[in-house]
Amino acid sequence: MAGARFASQFRTYLIMAEHSLWRLSRALQCAVNDRHFEDLADLLDEDVDWAIYGPIDMFPFLGARQGKAAVVEAVRQLAHSLRIRRFERETVMLDRDGAASMVRCLLTARDSEKPITTRFAHFAQFRAGKLIRLRVLVDTFDLVEQTLGRPIHLPRIGSFA
Amino acid sequence: MIEQTNRERVLQLIDAYAAGDFDKVLSLCSEDVEHIASAPIDILPHLGPRRGQSAVRQMWETVRSRYVERRHEIQALLADGDQVAADIRVYLRKRSNDRIVRYDVAVFYTLKDGRITRIREIMDTFDLVQQVVECDLAALVMEHLPRES
Repeated sequence: MAGARFASQFRTYLIMAEHSLWRLSRALQCAVNDRHFEDLADLLDEDVDWAIYGPIDMFPFLGARQGKAAVVEAVRQLAHSLRIRRFERETVMLDRDGAASMVRCLLTARDSEKPITTRFAHFAQFRAGKLIRLRVLVDTFDLVEQTLGRPIHLPRIGSFA
Repeated sequence: MIEQTNRERVLQLIDAYAAGDFDKVLSLCSEDVEHIASAPIDILPHLGPRRGQSAVRQMWETVRSRYVERRHEIQALLADGDQVAADIRVYLRKRSNDRIVRYDVAVFYTLKDGRITRIREIMDTFDLVQQVVECDLAALVMEHLPRES
């Protein structure tokens, strides 16, 4: 009896000791690759404020979403298009309720099996272990060129900065 | 606490940069400071990797020569060990036609002995290029995509 209580307390301690980022990371990977969305939904605050910046005309799963249902739907769309093959965290920073990281990621387009390599940065904010805010920034110009399989030719205009 | 010092150092750098005080900015950086932005350098050549104070200053001067005003809002700031990360919304006003370029950038700063040694940036480059060249890039790209039957 005491052993079971200790095991339960220890498990609670481990869950509390683990930063929410790691649970979110596992749940996202499971949602995208295996299309299991329950764990992810459990980790989202009802009013989660979510944005992955990028061209929504080309990638409808990008853009801003408000609320758990909208975020799960966006991840469902993402999972329909892409699979995560590998990712390498180049930088991870954690504080009590927040996290930021820079990740290099190898993805595969589900329709063509085309590999896509991208680097993204994210900022996450948690409250009571649930995600309340996420911002993701991606080098989207490169992402679009890889998806197209060719460089984007711009109309000629003077000089840019 | 090292995180607090590093956080203050980065905030000083961001403010000095916005004010165009590059002497102050560089006084917060190491001599061999590195600047790396994930960006299409054939379109934005000044954003190629830079190393050393002189090269980094030259890049910033190039940007300043094309924009008359810079404002920023820090959306998130995180410090952990020798690193600080900032999610910054930047507003630049073009010198040529007064149009505003607005973009969000994730900046990761690495510090050593109180000085910034590395600045690494990731941004939504597709949107940034659209604003810089003033062209609906998405429409241009979609036009040339094969149509689904």
